Amino acid sequence: MTAAPTPIRVVIVDDHAIFRSGLKADLAPDIAVLAEAATVEEAIAAVAAHQPDVVLLDVHLPGGRGQGGREVIAGSAAQLATTKFLALSVSDSAEDVVSVIRAGARGYVTKSISGAEISDAVRRVAGGDAVFSPRLAGFVLDAFGTAEVAVEDELDKLSARELEVMRLIARGYSYKEVAKALFISIKTVETHVSAVLRKLQLSSRHELTRWAADRRLL
Amino acid sequence: MSAKMYRSQQRMVAGVCGGLAEHLGIRVGVVRAVMVGACFFFGAGLVFYGWLWLLVPLAGDRTSSAGTLLDDDGNPRLKLFRPAQGAVVEDNTTTRRQRIPVGFREVLIGGALVIAAIAIFGGQQGWALRLGTLIPLLVIILGAVLAWMQLDNTRRVGLLNAAKMNTPMAMLRLGGGVALVIAGVLVIVAGSGSWALMWTSVVASLAVLAGVGLVLAPWALKFWREFQEERAGRIRETERAEIAAHLHDSVLQTLALIQKSASSPADVTRLARAQERELREWIYQDSAHSTGALVERVKAVCAEAEDLHGHAVEVVAVGDAELGERGNALVQAVREAVLNGVRHGGTTVSVYIEAGAQGVDVFVKDRGPGFDVATVPADRLGVRESVVGRMQRNGGTAEIISSADGTEVRLHLPHEKPATEEAK
Repeated sequence: MTAAPTPIRVVIVDDHAIFRSGLKADLAPDIAVLAEAATVEEAIAAVAAHQPDVVLLDVHLPGGRGQGGREVIAGSAAQLATTKFLALSVSDSAEDVVSVIRAGARGYVTKSISGAEISDAVRRVAGGDAVFSPRLAGFVLDAFGTAEVAVEDELDKLSARELEVMRLIARGYSYKEVAKALFISIKTVETHVSAVLRKLQLSSRHELTRWAADRRLL
Repeated sequence: MSAKMYRSQQRMVAGVCGGLAEHLGIRVGVVRAVMVGACFFFGAGLVFYGWLWLLVPLAGDRTSSAGTLLDDDGNPRLKLFRPAQGAVVEDNTTTRRQRIPVGFREVLIGGALVIAAIAIFGGQQGWALRLGTLIPLLVIILGAVLAWMQLDNTRRVGLLNAAKMNTPMAMLRLGGGVALVIAGVLVIVAGSGSWALMWTSVVASLAVLAGVGLVLAPWALKFWREFQEERAGRIRETERAEIAAHLHDSVLQTLALIQKSASSPADVTRLARAQERELREWIYQDSAHSTGALVERVKAVCAEAEDLHGHAVEVVAVGDAELGERGNALVQAVREAVLNGVRHGGTTVSVYIEAGAQGVDVFVKDRGPGFDVATVPADRLGVRESVVGRMQRNGGTAEIISSADGTEVRLHLPHEKPATEEAK
């Protein structure tokens, strides 16, 4: 595991106080919550002031120009090198999820996730890896297509191995189980997932942010 | 006799006569005859008609001016702005669109006839009516009518749907009307004086217009903003009402149920999950997958399993497929597998559906204690018959992999027609 010896410094951004306190109580002891924020402005200020390792970021936030989590990431662009964002949402909408990932979040988990799982996800993100929930993996597969197709830009398609990894994650496998099933190391799985994340963020294929609407045409 | 006068929807021109007839309790024909007759008294009928047209709202306007007009029944807006209303409004506009050309043509013909009559009548009386003044006057009137028709349209539809107001046709009509009026005025002015005089007067009038416009612009802007705000507020209120109605029907009921069964965690979880699912469906219905048969049905059976056992079933779907009879078998097999998962696994069950070019794959995974597939007793039909047997009978395959970390059921159903020989 990628747990750091010093506690991972975290800022929680969510507009629901109940959820924030619940999450705080759920997080493992090696994760220290520096601050909480409830709006876009508060979040940007808190991130700038505390320079946390990880920001747990709700996708839907009041304030700002109404773009929620995306705006927080955009507003914290200066910290993006040191601060990682992990998106949290109850939303099922592909547009919400993919847009926040494309804004720069390193992962996405649903709010119904357990305390242990979220602590694990925080450690993973802090260690520089990407965190994919089964649903996000499903979105990725849907967006990039599951078949091997010839495309000009390497960013526009997933390699066979990446496809396999995404499929297993969508099936509910943990990284460890993926590694075991594919006879590769966890490190390799993490590399594949990070590569997929990078493609998801950089690819212009189908204008991925709008793809939620487009995909109904497929 | 109705208390308030509205212009009729069943109209020839603008519905004034119909509305007046309804208001006074007289037959429409009589009102129309009187109106036409009055036209011959120095055009009194025409003026009266135009006046009523401008001032009397159309019957359908009641909803749009509800901001000031509170309706008879207690809470008007909640009812007035139910979605069904939108459909009605839409209907009005379409019927209107069909009606306008007819009404407009009749106005044109009628107007021409009236002008001709006046010209003939005037000629007999020895009035020196020159065509040079008559035609510009005609053009001005035509332009004004065009612009006003637009206003009429705007007033009725615009309040409900501002987007409609900016249709090219509407802008064209308004612009055409204004252009006609200006052209008419110019011709009249030009006819009465020299060109040099006309230019100075044009410049002077433009200056006056610009000055007045400058003074009035902030006001107009303010009114426009207030109007927009009010409209936005009303739309928000509509949405709020709709959401409130939905929440009342679903969430509040569920919360009440949860409070009642607070002593049973299993019930609470189940109720919460069911409500969550229902709410998600409602919120994300627009961005949901096209309702292809398979995913929808798998989701339905997963929801059923969730309700039965209170464990979450997460469905992730990629692509979708339409499957007939064999689809039924697949869905039934999935159902059995999911039920087994929630029953014996006792944890969250992940379902992944992938419908690709090769066929449909479904994976059902739980994190329960697992079991040894080989040692399943023969009398346990669940796995052997309902899952494996069913898939095989329909040309598919089923695999069950179980370990201490959980169980995964893998179902594969190839597409029927092509490439049956390369069955995986």
